[in-house]
Amino acid sequence: MALEVLKDRTVPKTTTVYPLRWRSRTYAIVGLVLILGMAVMATSAIGSTDIPLSTLCQVLLAKLPFVELKPTWASSVETIVLDIRLPRLLLAGLVGAALAVAGATYQGLFRNPLADPYLIGVAQGAALGAVIGFLLPASWQAASVPLLAFAGALLAVAVVYSIARVGKTLPMTTLILAGVALGAFLAAITSYLMIASGDKLHGIISWLLGTFSLTSWWQVTMVAPYVFVGTVVIWLHARPLNVMQLDEEQAQQLGINVERMKLILLGAATLITAAAVCFCGIIGFVGIIIPHAVRLIWGPDHRFLLPLSTFAGAIFLILADTAARTVLAPTEIPVGVITAFLGAPFFLYLLRQKKRAIF
Amino acid sequence: MGFVVLVNPPAAESTGIVCYETLETSVNRHIRRWPLILTTLVWLSCVGCIPQHPEGNVVDDLGRTVTINQTPQRIISLAPSNTEILFALGLGDRVVGVTEYCNYPEAATAKPKVGGFSTVDIEKVVSLEPDLVLATHIHGKTVIPALEEVGLTVFVLAPDSIDGVLNSITLAGTITGQHQQALQLVNNLRTRVEEVGNKTRNLAPDQRPTVLYLTWHNPLMTAGSGTLADDLIDKAGGQNIAYDISGDKAIDLETVVHRDPQVIIASVGMGTGEDLPWQYAKTEPRLENTQALVNRRVYMIDGDIVHRPGPRITDALDLMAQFIHPEIF
Repeated sequence: MALEVLKDRTVPKTTTVYPLRWRSRTYAIVGLVLILGMAVMATSAIGSTDIPLSTLCQVLLAKLPFVELKPTWASSVETIVLDIRLPRLLLAGLVGAALAVAGATYQGLFRNPLADPYLIGVAQGAALGAVIGFLLPASWQAASVPLLAFAGALLAVAVVYSIARVGKTLPMTTLILAGVALGAFLAAITSYLMIASGDKLHGIISWLLGTFSLTSWWQVTMVAPYVFVGTVVIWLHARPLNVMQLDEEQAQQLGINVERMKLILLGAATLITAAAVCFCGIIGFVGIIIPHAVRLIWGPDHRFLLPLSTFAGAIFLILADTAARTVLAPTEIPVGVITAFLGAPFFLYLLRQKKRAIF
Repeated sequence: MGFVVLVNPPAAESTGIVCYETLETSVNRHIRRWPLILTTLVWLSCVGCIPQHPEGNVVDDLGRTVTINQTPQRIISLAPSNTEILFALGLGDRVVGVTEYCNYPEAATAKPKVGGFSTVDIEKVVSLEPDLVLATHIHGKTVIPALEEVGLTVFVLAPDSIDGVLNSITLAGTITGQHQQALQLVNNLRTRVEEVGNKTRNLAPDQRPTVLYLTWHNPLMTAGSGTLADDLIDKAGGQNIAYDISGDKAIDLETVVHRDPQVIIASVGMGTGEDLPWQYAKTEPRLENTQALVNRRVYMIDGDIVHRPGPRITDALDLMAQFIHPEIF
């Protein structure tokens, strides 16, 4: 049933047929960008430490060029706002955006509502890489964990890709099966290494559940370029992705180079997912739920689905991480726990609402 | 016959388990002699210099009542802290199995391993034929029922404070028949705790430096209230900044910066040479302006002596006191 609906709507016949739809979706994008901006502002004011809004604004204003403000606040306030909260919520935003847009891409490519960014081995590859990083000599750990996680993610997908490739074509079912099988194999190695890891187990588990604790600016600057470039590449391929919803053969006949499209989209989605998980760990749920929620609200046209998912993912993860660091303050909850705990009921609610209205 | 054996316990011990089984059956047979046997037992325990028999029903740290009829001869320890207590009571020879993490004292590393901390190899435990298994609280739900299922005697030592450790050592002495050694050890340890306590007890709140105790750096992990480390900080005359966190949990970096600790003590694995939390605390730019870093008061301590509720807890207390109050210790 879902597929029929998809087919029904994926290719808008002409822009003039749904003028209202177009306008509302454009408004939606603008609206989400605004909400994102407000979320960044609002959440930077929330934390285990009470910082008055006026102080917060002053701290931020003082950082702008040409603004001279005499600091009336403790230096710790500045550290907390500028070096602890801001990088943390920016990274959360980047990762949320990356996972959501990658999830939407995978779901579109595989034409499968169960697809998520971790479907073909990214998570398991990253996890194995990270665990190996944790087990390396201590002095290398800071650099080796993200580096090996990134490399592991890309390597796992590359292996899955080369296994699934038949001649010049890439059957999507084979790709999924190969991904699931290799994922299970890598997860087995990871589990074994975890059992053998002794006192490092806590760090590993916390990484696997996903956490933004201790995010600093250099991590943001490392992740941002991948996410920006990857996301833009994906956005630019929204139209072919729409056509590919019909059927691969039909898309081919309509002039889409399907195999090339698969390679580009898989590559971009995998790259940004790998970049997203390498510092903060495997944050689940964002990549599968956000695209679905967006699709339920604004329809399946990828030209809107992709950017809307990007912004919605960023907003969602920023809010989830704020909950993670404040609900039980001064202690923290892994953000992965929050994404599932808050996201699942919300998604079920949406599903129920739409079921009544449309299906 | 039972009477003869009782009067001369060392002989009984040298002949091992088989002899005890005969002892028990003969005691059952001569049930009418119970008063006499008990009197002898009480008398023997007053004498003190001869290894006494344990008293039967003892309540362990999980509130379980454990019946111990004979002095245990083959003991398995399921926790590094238990191993340290057993060796400190002079029971090293009777320990027949330890965990992979039991690295102290040196002699413990040569004992057969029965698995990791929470991952106990039940089969291995059974094959070593222990007459006493010393477990800890983490074994409560899974390992202990499994061991009891196969008929083993399991006793739990799970203290979470310095006083609790002293109590556990006394208990361990009771069930293993090492009353005297336990008494001596506990007295020694108590004296050392008192020495520190006398100097810190009457400190005013503003004379107690705020302390961040760091067990891991990514995420930041600390020991909140109800932990041994928290008790140590308090007894050493400091204030734990994680006072509103209970147990071992992650702490928000923001909270640390805001509460501005005067002293940071990072736990490191001395054995493995891993001093990551200490390195982290010294180099984290966002902690640069905390009093601890400004005054260069970032210390490291062997995590084993802090987290293991064993006889080395007083070493940890002495070190903590020196870190927190270098002016009086």
